[in-house]
Amino acid sequence: MATENNSRKLTGGEIGVKTALMIFGLILIALGYFVYGESWTTPEMFAGLGLDLSKVIVNVGFFLLFIQVINIYFYTPLREAIEERNQELETTFSEAETLKTTMAQMRSDYERRLAQTEAEAREQIQAQIKEAQQLRQTLMAEAGEKADELVKKANQEIEAEKARVMGDLRLGVVNLTLAATEKLLGENVDSAKNRRLVEEFIDKIEVKA
Amino acid sequence: MAQHDARIGKRYAQALFGTAQRYDVVQAVEADLDAIVGLMAKDKAFKDFLLAPYTSREEKVKIIERIFSDRVTALTMQVLRVMLEKRREGEIDAVYTEFVNLRRAATKTIHVAVSSAEALDDKQKKALIAKIEKTAGKKVEADFSVEPALIGGIKVAYENFVLDGSLKGGLARLRDSLKHDLLKQF
Repeated sequence: MATENNSRKLTGGEIGVKTALMIFGLILIALGYFVYGESWTTPEMFAGLGLDLSKVIVNVGFFLLFIQVINIYFYTPLREAIEERNQELETTFSEAETLKTTMAQMRSDYERRLAQTEAEAREQIQAQIKEAQQLRQTLMAEAGEKADELVKKANQEIEAEKARVMGDLRLGVVNLTLAATEKLLGENVDSAKNRRLVEEFIDKIEVKA
Repeated sequence: MAQHDARIGKRYAQALFGTAQRYDVVQAVEADLDAIVGLMAKDKAFKDFLLAPYTSREEKVKIIERIFSDRVTALTMQVLRVMLEKRREGEIDAVYTEFVNLRRAATKTIHVAVSSAEALDDKQKKALIAKIEKTAGKKVEADFSVEPALIGGIKVAYENFVLDGSLKGGLARLRDSLKHDLLKQF
């Protein structure tokens, strides 16, 4: 389709020239036939060369006709084919250029989008990393606080248990000491001492009724 | 059998004490009641008979009159008779206790229970009673008992108070004090 559109059409002048040359050729052929055998067609000046003017005219007429025939049936189609081919190549090159441009555009777009995507991805990754770091710090802080609290609680429990055990121990010591004291007193308090105790009590007693 | 009610014993005691005061036989009536209560405590058969629900009132009155009529005052006998007739023989203890309380209140007397590791001699008893009477400003009735667990010293209990001069009490106070100090450390 592009070939048809792009094939160069012969102008009216060219067609006229070609037609005129063909007619002129035919005329020359006809003229050569008519004048063949005439004496003037073989002048003396060409005798040495063996030339016959009528044959020359006929040959010129054939030449002109042949040229036009070749021009019409061979050269023109060939030229048109070449032009068509060139046109196709130009079209192909043009399409290739267009495609190349489009591809370059697309590539540029792709690279731009890729860069944009990479930038966004980088930003998101950075944001995620930042968030993860904050989360990590928060978790670390919480874990630290919890650990401190546990340690504090454990220390308090240890202290409380220690105090309780010490208290029990002291209480045990007190009870044992008092039991031993009671036993010793029971063995050592005689009547005289008891009497003294009673007298001291009577001296000190005060009853408020 | 009627249920024991402190208010009933109190009413009987108040009536009896008022009458005994009027006739000036408080001490005699108290001694009678003391003897009867003592007999009830010592003689289980007598107590069972007195409190038996299946023995008739008349029979109880007859036997009590036979036992006590020539041993107690007429007032005591009359009270016993009334209580038996009213089926209040279970309140005799309460009547005695309340009668003693009323008598002590009327004579401004306090009762003290004295416990000692060893028996006190008369001199010690008199000194103790004299000291209590002097500081309290009231007469004193004392019951003395021996309690070897006290180790040494004596303990005097009156009304709602206890004055502990025993070694056992001293050790107990020391134990309490040490425990208190130990608890304060926590």
